[in-house]
Amino acid sequence: MNNLALALDGAWKVLLASLVLGAGLPMVFAFGVRSLALGAGGSAEVDHAKGQPIGNVLAAICFLVVLAGVALGITIVVASGFGRAVSFAHVFPTLVSK
Amino acid sequence: MTTATIVLALVVVTALAFDFTNGFHDTGNAMATSIATGALKPKVAVALSGVLNLVGAFLSVEVALTVTNAVINIQDKSGAPKPEFLAGGGYSLLLILLCGLVGGIVWNLLTWLLGLPSSSSHALFGGLIGAAIAGLGLSGVKWNGDGTKLDGVIGKVILPALVSPVIAGAVAALGTWLIFRVVAGVAERFTETGFRWGQIGSASLVSLAHGTNDAQKTMGVITLALIAGGEWTDTKNIPFWVKLACALAISAGTYLGGWRIIRTLGKGLVEISSPQGMAAESASAAVILASSHLGFALSTTHVATGSILGTGVGKKGAEVRWNVALRMVAAWMITLPAAAVVGAVMWFIGHLVGGLAGAIVVFLILVAFAVYMYIRSRRQPVHAGNVNDEWEAPATTKTLESVA
Repeated sequence: MNNLALALDGAWKVLLASLVLGAGLPMVFAFGVRSLALGAGGSAEVDHAKGQPIGNVLAAICFLVVLAGVALGITIVVASGFGRAVSFAHVFPTLVSK
Repeated sequence: MTTATIVLALVVVTALAFDFTNGFHDTGNAMATSIATGALKPKVAVALSGVLNLVGAFLSVEVALTVTNAVINIQDKSGAPKPEFLAGGGYSLLLILLCGLVGGIVWNLLTWLLGLPSSSSHALFGGLIGAAIAGLGLSGVKWNGDGTKLDGVIGKVILPALVSPVIAGAVAALGTWLIFRVVAGVAERFTETGFRWGQIGSASLVSLAHGTNDAQKTMGVITLALIAGGEWTDTKNIPFWVKLACALAISAGTYLGGWRIIRTLGKGLVEISSPQGMAAESASAAVILASSHLGFALSTTHVATGSILGTGVGKKGAEVRWNVALRMVAAWMITLPAAAVVGAVMWFIGHLVGGLAGAIVVFLILVAFAVYMYIRSRRQPVHAGNVNDEWEAPATTKTLESVA
């Protein structure tokens, strides 16, 4: 394989991973903000509807998902520095030595 | 002290100076959007970024001797210098490293003066390539890899530079579009506060990744110089003081701020709101992390700029100042050759003068140039107090459309 093929091969993997983490997580965060607004009600929303408590629960779930994603990101950075890698072989991320 | 020891000391000092410029040149990559939206006060942002760079630099314990090996032909497979360079205390190799670093610093300072976020890695590679061509001829440069992995100037520098901003831009544009779809109907004041937290988190992640990626490069260069000078023999480990010195240099540079570049990135390209800031920094963090995980080398600057542009494209009605973007892209394209020219000229000067005096002359030229740049920058200072002022194109290019 030449450099160009190798670069394109790497590029689409980076694109795929980045779409999930870099656009997906912010979207989940956005759902969190939206749910918070739903929970708060009143001036938080354009239509000034009454607050719905379920919104706060949904928001908490969304923010937890985002935090988990960030924790995963930090683990990847730290692990590679210590000669280990995060493996997705068992779906759940696990630490393996490189 | 022998000649070689003094030259070695000069290389180490210059490498740390490069690391320092690398720090302030790239603060904006992580923090420009948070500063622009007011999520963080300017001083707090640079302090946070500095600390995270320090932490990040310590986390990168991987041996980085391969950094220089990817683009120039002075090392064998293990990363140790080739034996023909070791004569005279490694003088010929040290001179190439010194001139390459000077090329990188000079270009970093010039682009900083102009407020252009150019890639520090390209500046370093460019300087080294120029010095290697001058010292060893065209065969001193690894233009292309051997085809088994991404390598050489094309594989490690040029292709990633073309691909990474596009990926980052696409991810940020999609992220921005999704966010605004999801929060439609929520009051703007509510979203602004909510997304500030996301922005701070994602920007911190970029700072951390920056420390791990970029401090390594200087660590690699210094360790290579130490091996060439016979002061270190282990190709698997880096001396602790090198790691400490590099970590401190990059984080001190980051803390200094590089306000000119922060201003261009945060205010010049797009008027940014905090959901956009979060989308941009998340895209940057994801692309940098995914790339380093998959062994795809890239420049944090290219990624961050691509993301910020992308977030401008992704929001309906947002204005993107394409003239600023074009100036930046032009700077990217000439970064490598320009730094190479400086590196090559420095090598010829150093070689012409020869010996210890040659290295000292090159170093003094760098010092003189840096002082001149600093004095020039004081004419139109940009600092924490005015970094967020309304954007105006520089007087020379002020036209109706760029003011509008």
